[in-house]
Amino acid sequence: MTDASVTTARGPVPSGSRHTSRRPGPWHAAVWIAPAAFVIVFVFAYAIYQLVVQSFKYQGKWTGWDNFRIVLTDPLFLTALKHNMELLLCVPVLIAIALLLAIVLSETVRGHSFFRGVLFFPYILPVTVVGVVLGQLLTLNGPVNTALNGLGLGKLAADWLGDPNIALWTMGAVIVWKEVGFGIVLFLARILSLPTETYEAAALDGAGFWRKHWSITLPQMTGVIAFYAVTEAIVMVSWVFNYVYIMTNGQGGPGDSTVVTELYIYRSAFQDQQIELAAAAAVILFLITLFLVIIFFRLQRKSLLAVVGE
Amino acid sequence: MRKTIKAAALLGVAALTLAACSSGSGGSTSSPSAGGGSTAPSPTETGPVTLTMHWWGDQEAPGAKKWLDAAITAYQTAHPNITIKETLETTDGLIPNFEAAAAAKTPLDIQYFWGGIYAQQPYWKGNTAAISDLLPADELAHYTNAKMEDSYQGKIVSAPWYVNPSFPVLVNKDLLSKNGLTVPMTWADFLKTCDTLSAKGIPTIAGGVKDGWFGGWLYSILGAQSVTSQKQVLDAVVGNAKFTDPALGDWWMRLEESQKHKCWNADINSQELYQAQQMFVDQKAAMTVTAGPDAPNFAKKAGGPDKIEVMAMPAWSNGPLAGKIASSSQTLGIPSWSEHKAEAADFIKFLHTPEQLQAWYDMTGSLPADDRFNLSQVTDPIKKSLFAGGTDNVPYMENFIPAQLDSDAVFKNVQLVLKGTETGAAAAADMQAQMERLRTTDRELVTNFTNWASGQ
Repeated sequence: MTDASVTTARGPVPSGSRHTSRRPGPWHAAVWIAPAAFVIVFVFAYAIYQLVVQSFKYQGKWTGWDNFRIVLTDPLFLTALKHNMELLLCVPVLIAIALLLAIVLSETVRGHSFFRGVLFFPYILPVTVVGVVLGQLLTLNGPVNTALNGLGLGKLAADWLGDPNIALWTMGAVIVWKEVGFGIVLFLARILSLPTETYEAAALDGAGFWRKHWSITLPQMTGVIAFYAVTEAIVMVSWVFNYVYIMTNGQGGPGDSTVVTELYIYRSAFQDQQIELAAAAAVILFLITLFLVIIFFRLQRKSLLAVVGE
Repeated sequence: MRKTIKAAALLGVAALTLAACSSGSGGSTSSPSAGGGSTAPSPTETGPVTLTMHWWGDQEAPGAKKWLDAAITAYQTAHPNITIKETLETTDGLIPNFEAAAAAKTPLDIQYFWGGIYAQQPYWKGNTAAISDLLPADELAHYTNAKMEDSYQGKIVSAPWYVNPSFPVLVNKDLLSKNGLTVPMTWADFLKTCDTLSAKGIPTIAGGVKDGWFGGWLYSILGAQSVTSQKQVLDAVVGNAKFTDPALGDWWMRLEESQKHKCWNADINSQELYQAQQMFVDQKAAMTVTAGPDAPNFAKKAGGPDKIEVMAMPAWSNGPLAGKIASSSQTLGIPSWSEHKAEAADFIKFLHTPEQLQAWYDMTGSLPADDRFNLSQVTDPIKKSLFAGGTDNVPYMENFIPAQLDSDAVFKNVQLVLKGTETGAAAAADMQAQMERLRTTDRELVTNFTNWASGQ
């Protein structure tokens, strides 16, 4: 970049021209950012500050780490956290299914839009609708088990949401079904943007379906897969309350089998009237989510640098 | 990116809500007297007044909404300067919505509370005013269960509204006789009934515990049988007894027995409370447990007095409360931040006038919580049986344990025992462990319950 000019989409701009002299200074960026910064500072920052302060108090009195100690030694909180971690196992499942379906869709010639619409449909459904409908479908004597019995697959029928041994995994399956559409659209967009020449060359060399996608598609999708993995990890840690609340009537049952951290916070604050413990649990969840958000931004930056490099 | 924004938004909203709550609770005091420090009722204001009322109950006392609408109209006609706005709450939303209103100090003048602990806890937190500071003692003396459930350190914290005989068992005599059985009066008979009917694929008793509430009912109708009074339960709460003691914990073994004898519908864990009761109406189960105020209507739907019998849960103990239907009153309280306490109290008093008591009975078929109601007019055998229980002063035990113990130990362990994944002994041990933990997390609990127990 030692040339006397730079090239833009509209053509070369001479170095030292009036355009360069009018280049906005740092204050210009600040003006653009100001409205969003204002909202963040006055809406979120204040609330988070209050939350943190509250987590160190009991009935207005400073109690140090007491609330955190109580929460971190509460078996129910640890169970809830464990369930969030177990739900993280859904992330690789989501990636695998979304990737497979995106690749199949990219190869589909007829009905491409229809299938894409069908697969994306669950993602746009409200969680409440999904929770209520699937909650009914998955009862012991519900349509799913009736269908399984009708097909002679009665051995596969189960008390999907009533058995504490499988209720969390049933919940996980519902979340996967709902969330996979986002991954499909994301991956498909990336696949369709890949240069076709490489595939044509591979085809000439005799590469089959699996070889093509294993050696050409996958390596070029690491950025978008990482993005999807992190966003879905955030979902599993801090965005599953609606599913659990709707499908278990706010109980996290049977027993504690589907209690997650958000439900613990909700119950502590609004059912058990233990606002300070809820605040401490919320701070812990906030820190975990913040950690994931930082990973996300790092990966995004890495992807952007890779694109600029290309 | 959308997901990240959503996650950030969720955290933000959660933080905002908790921050709002924190500012609200921060100002509250642990002293219950804070809520009860109101002055005696002043004459009704002459300027325009709007009263906001949040209530629940139409689902357990169908017709309640119609009655309340008519009562509001009548009151507004007599008091043209007063407007009453009412909102019917959901079961799951009743407590959280009041908590949110208390935190934000949302305008609210009359709030529905279930009796006992559900009316006590808001008062302990300073969120309600004592009704005895607003209504005269000779008026409150008529309100059923006010002293037993809603008194605290000499004050009445909430005003009983209607009685909830808790909880009657409905029995389909026809279905039993078709299978060569009679109404089981003892636990042993009940288990034999279960064995006979389950062999034929018929659930003896229909229930649903997915939403948890039925667990609390079972605690009361089984757990109360071996205790002598509510004081024994309150003692276990403060640590002077244990929930694993035979008198307080043996009911879990009976629950386990009922599961082993296949007494319940197999899908009890995936059915909600009211959903499962429909099996009884559909003649697919021989028995069910239902809300007292709704029991007459429910029995009528299932076939009426000729076919249906109302009774207490079959007795498994010789305790003084075994074989009896308990009595609890649903109540109306006045939030401590209400700006129209005197007017709210006056409206509550109006709901206890003879005309309104009669109208309540006529429209809902259930028992108003007032001994001035003329019981002699009741001739229906089902109602007579229920109302006898409702006026018998038998405590409803679920109302004497911390609400958190109810959800964290009772609801949870009932689900597990009925699924067969936990033993009764383990459930009793967990209930005791939860209680011990609760005494450390709720730092006012022992003081409040000790004070409550001292008045019993």
